[in-house]
Amino acid sequence: MPHTHQSISTNGPTNGIGHLPVSRRQALGLSVASLLAPLGLCAEQLKQQQRSCILVWLAGAPSQMETWDPKPDTKNGGPTQAIKTTLPGVSIAEHWPKLAKSLGDVAIIRSIVGNEAAHARGTYHLHTGRRMGGPEKHPNFGSVVAGELGDPNSDLPNFVSIGKTLSSGFLGVNVAPFIVNRAGSLPANVATPLPSPQVSRRLALLAAQDAELSDAGAAALVQEHRVLYERARRLMTSPKLKSFKLDSEPEARQLAYGKNRFGQGLLVARRLIESGVPFVEVSKGGWDMHNRLFTRIKTAAAEVDRAVAALLRDLKQRGLLERTLVIVAGEFGRTPKVNTKTPAPGRDHWAKSFGMLMAGAGIRGGSVLGKTSNNGQEVVDRAVSVEDVFQTICRAMKIDADKELFTPGGRPLKIVDGGQAIGEILS
Amino acid sequence: MPRLTALLACAMLCLCSTNTLAQTKKTTRVRKSTRKAKPAPRAIKLPPLKTVADKQKFLSAIRNSMPVRRAGSNLRYTSYDLDRSLEYRVGRDRSYAPLIDDERFVRRVHLDLVGRPPSIAEINTFVADKTSSKRPKLIDRLLATEPYARKWARYWKDVIFFEATANRNRTNPQALENWLTKQFKTGTPWDKIVAELVSAMPVRDKEKKKDKNDWSQKTGQNNFVLAYENKPPLLAAQTARLFMGISIQCAECHDHPFDNWKREQFHELAAFFSGGKYYMPNLDDPSKKTEMQPKFLLGEKPPIKLTIHQRRVAIAAYLVYNQDNYWFARSFVNRIWNELVGDGFYAIDSLGPDQECLHPSVVNRIAAVFRYRNFDPRWVFRLLMNSKAYQRDIQTIDDEEDRFTAVRPMRLNSDQVKASVLRLTGPERNIGTAIDRAFRHDPSTPQRDIEGTVQQALFLMNNPTLQNKLKSGQLKKRLLAIKQPRRLITQLYLAILARRPTDSEFTRGRKHLQDVTNRSEAIDDLLWVLVNSTEFLTKR
Repeated sequence: MPHTHQSISTNGPTNGIGHLPVSRRQALGLSVASLLAPLGLCAEQLKQQQRSCILVWLAGAPSQMETWDPKPDTKNGGPTQAIKTTLPGVSIAEHWPKLAKSLGDVAIIRSIVGNEAAHARGTYHLHTGRRMGGPEKHPNFGSVVAGELGDPNSDLPNFVSIGKTLSSGFLGVNVAPFIVNRAGSLPANVATPLPSPQVSRRLALLAAQDAELSDAGAAALVQEHRVLYERARRLMTSPKLKSFKLDSEPEARQLAYGKNRFGQGLLVARRLIESGVPFVEVSKGGWDMHNRLFTRIKTAAAEVDRAVAALLRDLKQRGLLERTLVIVAGEFGRTPKVNTKTPAPGRDHWAKSFGMLMAGAGIRGGSVLGKTSNNGQEVVDRAVSVEDVFQTICRAMKIDADKELFTPGGRPLKIVDGGQAIGEILS
Repeated sequence: MPRLTALLACAMLCLCSTNTLAQTKKTTRVRKSTRKAKPAPRAIKLPPLKTVADKQKFLSAIRNSMPVRRAGSNLRYTSYDLDRSLEYRVGRDRSYAPLIDDERFVRRVHLDLVGRPPSIAEINTFVADKTSSKRPKLIDRLLATEPYARKWARYWKDVIFFEATANRNRTNPQALENWLTKQFKTGTPWDKIVAELVSAMPVRDKEKKKDKNDWSQKTGQNNFVLAYENKPPLLAAQTARLFMGISIQCAECHDHPFDNWKREQFHELAAFFSGGKYYMPNLDDPSKKTEMQPKFLLGEKPPIKLTIHQRRVAIAAYLVYNQDNYWFARSFVNRIWNELVGDGFYAIDSLGPDQECLHPSVVNRIAAVFRYRNFDPRWVFRLLMNSKAYQRDIQTIDDEEDRFTAVRPMRLNSDQVKASVLRLTGPERNIGTAIDRAFRHDPSTPQRDIEGTVQQALFLMNNPTLQNKLKSGQLKKRLLAIKQPRRLITQLYLAILARRPTDSEFTRGRKHLQDVTNRSEAIDDLLWVLVNSTEFLTKR
């Protein structure tokens, strides 16, 4: 392959990376669908069918008994009460009154049996579908979705995370999460004071400058640099940038989501999904409640309850819910037994029985999967694994879980290894 | 007392050295041979080893009695020997990249040893120097500086803290950095540094106990242990990973999926870091657990019951002063090699007993001599940096068999980027923190896996503070005052990329200065282009 000396996007945003040579790693990381997309093949079709996903990540691991699987009036249940929901016979913890009314669109899983009860490892498992360890750095599932469903020519990144998250692992920069620290304002450094022709002039010079280094033995680095600048330029000039901002959202809607970091984050997530971003993660920390659980849960849950319920309603009203999968999860659960920590008790790490919510695209709303014993210490019905959950997500997202992705070393790895999709909660 | 200490040290050492199986059968575990080992005299009582001074004294007694250290103390191994054996292994008929010129060399060496590019004056002096020994001299000179010590202290601080799990208030990374800087500055041998980190047993200050976050983290060497919350399983995993290059974490929960590590081995290692009894949890039934006795990875175990302080000293001794533990010296060599040439002989922190190491005879040899050379970190730098293996030109390396035929072009780390940017802008706190945030990566990531991000590009393209400083800073003023295009462009390239422009770069620059009517704007363009070039962020 000759060294490419053509300038970076001097014609403006339409000159996508599809025209640039594709490196080995990029080629391996991209799906056939996304390679065909830039050629104009079925792009429109892809767009209509395209599913997207919002992951609400409750970092620190929320307690299953204070969320979707309360055990009122039992010793392990603690002081948490249950409330009725729109589903007959189904109760959830009292801290979630708004979601209790939206369960018609939601599937509750109560019977995940996980393997990891340490934060880093649980976060890794629930973000990649793989256990941590070994030589490979597995990709964040958001990166997998970005690669499988994202438009490589898109102005916006195909994976946006509001708050930090795991890297794209061996899938590389093309599908790396674009991390936004503050929801509601433009990402840092996207504005340039320079007139567009001057930026183009500089980029043309830059391409020539980089060609020197490429010839001198750093072709791979230069190629990667070029892709990054291409993306940066497209983002800077994109009309879709306004998706990151909230000023056009009516005050009432902003209030409905909650005027806090998390609520505004979810509202931005909806706007990004609307603009075609296939995967958005919004995280909310503070769930590692080893102590003072029963007071801390109140404020934390209220914020998330309000925002997620508003999100589901908003997506539904816009007709986006049927193509958008919403997941609410953390890295594992918490010990059914209440501990004796001071100044007030809480629950510790526990991976043997925990839950999550899924709603929207491909999900059978109003379903409840699995059951735990009265003391909450074991799953007594329909135990599912984390791998099962990922198979289910793939089905809901219309992604082939058996497809093999290649590591830089050429090792093929299936998108999900093992597990079976949970048919009961899929529509 | 000192005599007793030495005696006991010998007793411990005996334990280490009865174990010779690793030399003959490298990958099998050695439990059998330990069973045959003579029972140590039961009457031995170790000193309590509670203070840092006692620990140091005890460890140095063991150190001084290490026979292997004395045996090889006059062994010769030079950069020439290194190149010869490496080229023999890689293949003499392969095509090797040519050696770099002086400008490239001076930048590379500065970035590697002192973490910043050279100044224009430093480049000019070096290039003008006609003596043939100027390269080794420059290496020696930089190795003697404070910035060398600081750079590598920061490297190890980042290595230790990148995966740290502890609450920030209970650690003091800066204290660790300062302590390490002092060690690297004075040339403390690597074994002593690691022994002190691993044997640390932070004790809470009685008077300050009210302050719940006081864990003696001000004592720099306590911070490895504190970074991992003083927790046995974390310390076991990290000791193996950071100081042996071995990935054993997975074995905490199950027999290692890829390697031959067993769960028991992991928990036996963890038991060294435990205060009292240590139990391996039963994953199927949380009500059951198995008590584990401390035992090192090659099967070495202490002959008598030890207190928590003594256990820490014991693990340090088994790790560092154990002639069978070739992993210890080798992992340091491999890490430095990885940092300097962009590739190691194996992944720096994920080796398993069954995993492949490229050209083992070469790296094992360097590791062995490193031990004979008193574990002197500077010796490793000198050996490698004076070799052709280090001084070769860059080449994109895709295949394993091409490794070491050229140097891999490497992304600068956040400190190096910061130093490169701030010398153009002058000190600017905002820029510093933005760079830290955007460019930080795990220093244990293999070079070939480190990637840039869109945010980095956006920062260099548009960050308002940076752009203003480039537009109206000292460098710009200096450039504006230069009338002659060739001098202007030369100064520009020297200031930003630390080298003179090539002919085509000069032609292009001059054309731009002619084409753009506003001269100041033309210079702004050129400044921007070089700051945004791949080369600015690359060690070539």
